[in-house]
Amino acid sequence: MFLSYLLGWLPRIGKPIAAFLSNPPEWVLVALAIAIPIGFVMAVFPGIFAYTTLVERKALGRIQNRIGPNRVGRWGILQPIADGVKLLTKEDIVPRRADKFVHFLAPVIAVIPSVLLFSVVPVGMGLVPVDLNIGILFAFAVSTASVLALFMGGWASRNKFSLLGAMRAVAQVVSYEVPMVLAAVAVVMVVGSLSTVRIAQAQSGGILNITNWFVFRPWGLVGFVLFTIGAMAESARTPFDIPEAESEIIAGYHTEYSGFKFALFQLGEYLASIAMAGITVTMFLGGYNGPGSGPGFLGGLISMFWFFAKLAFMIVITIWIRGTWPRVRVDQLMGFAWKVLLPMSIVNIVAVGFWHYLTIRPIAWLLTTSWLVAWFIVLSKLAATEKFAPRTYRYAS
Amino acid sequence: MDTIFWILSIITIIGAVMAITLRNLIHCVLSLILFFLGIAGHYFLLRADFLGAVQVLIYIGAVAVLMLFAIMLTRHVTGDEGPREVLGGKWWAGMGTAVIIAGLLWAIIRKDQIAQALPAGVAKTSVAEIGKALVGDWVVPFEAMAVLLTAALIGAVVIALEEVIRKR
Repeated sequence: MFLSYLLGWLPRIGKPIAAFLSNPPEWVLVALAIAIPIGFVMAVFPGIFAYTTLVERKALGRIQNRIGPNRVGRWGILQPIADGVKLLTKEDIVPRRADKFVHFLAPVIAVIPSVLLFSVVPVGMGLVPVDLNIGILFAFAVSTASVLALFMGGWASRNKFSLLGAMRAVAQVVSYEVPMVLAAVAVVMVVGSLSTVRIAQAQSGGILNITNWFVFRPWGLVGFVLFTIGAMAESARTPFDIPEAESEIIAGYHTEYSGFKFALFQLGEYLASIAMAGITVTMFLGGYNGPGSGPGFLGGLISMFWFFAKLAFMIVITIWIRGTWPRVRVDQLMGFAWKVLLPMSIVNIVAVGFWHYLTIRPIAWLLTTSWLVAWFIVLSKLAATEKFAPRTYRYAS
Repeated sequence: MDTIFWILSIITIIGAVMAITLRNLIHCVLSLILFFLGIAGHYFLLRADFLGAVQVLIYIGAVAVLMLFAIMLTRHVTGDEGPREVLGGKWWAGMGTAVIIAGLLWAIIRKDQIAQALPAGVAKTSVAEIGKALVGDWVVPFEAMAVLLTAALIGAVVIALEEVIRKR
């Protein structure tokens, strides 16, 4: 009303503008439809990344009996900005014998797959950048591409530690990819669709929109644990951070990176970890479903709140694990992936088969739970190669 | 649509040419990855999004990474020494192959059986249909493939085991 009144003052240009606004040409709509989701992803998730680093440093500080950053702004709230300025103004060092072009390309490639991952994560009811009907598969395809960046960075640096880190990264990502995909297969089998939106929809309903989350099913709980472990290994988060183990190989594949290229590596790694947390939330923790979420404006807002609350929960859990768990050894890492996670994920797929064909719910619960528990016990007994006995002291007893 | 096709095609061809002409083996594999990406883009352009995603997942995520790994374990990666011969004296073999492939493609496109079998308009391939076809009409080849791959896996394990036993 007011707008048209105001525009009436300028009839010359007002009329075309009003006509434009009320009936925009198609290319404007297409451009807006492309720009809004991209703008949202590029504005929100790097912002979450910036403050994840702050929360992580604070939380790790508290876990290690320190205070953490508190100099820049109150509670260190401007620390990410200071970090960004510092990294931007640092000297960009390229080793003389490095493969210059690949060395330059690696950090760029590190970011692209991580950002692409967000394109299939539904952040609220009806709020998804692209509803691909192969959503989950797309996410896996894109996330495997990130290993290329790690490899390129490690190889192009012409540094033994970098190369070791790159080899570790490749072996780790390739191994943990398999149980992760198989854990997702369980969800896909139940929902009957690869679309992330359909998966989130399938978890609505129940008591308070909570009881239908897949994590509250026996196979869902197992899948959730498998997927979370796989996602943490894929993004090289701490119990699985042997590709960049500081105490062994300096910083692994990004030893020879400084300044903004180093920041890009960090950005890619954290964004991938956040995106994987988002996909975990969508697949197992009910996605955007929660008390009060539903269609309409208010329901949509509440659904967004639930999604981001669960995302924050997952991020905090990974930080907590990072602060409290030791790093695994290389042989333990490989053995864990191939001897425990992989059989367990296959067993989980069989459990989903039981669940699907046993229509009487109590029997299905009983059978799938006992099947999974039995296999878990068997596999953990088989995988335990070291006997744990009370520590014996030779001299100080 | 056309411009996207041309851009993708140029990227694909550049990747393919670089993969056979560059001297550094790692660069060759990286260009090969560019080529795979171009092919995946073509699949997406043809609305075969399942095929495109699988192309990225298998060829880039597994095959190319495996190649990189294998190359990393060998020496003389850069290959700067010695003369380079892409075709050598056997240029006629390459020409012959090119002519045969071009002829076959021409014959296939002219016959146009695939295009006639599909309904007009945008082709619609869903993952569900591919899955049904795999475990329905094509279940025997599918299972045969599975057995073949399992045999290959066991063979690899056996070869690796022999090495371990010999070391002891």
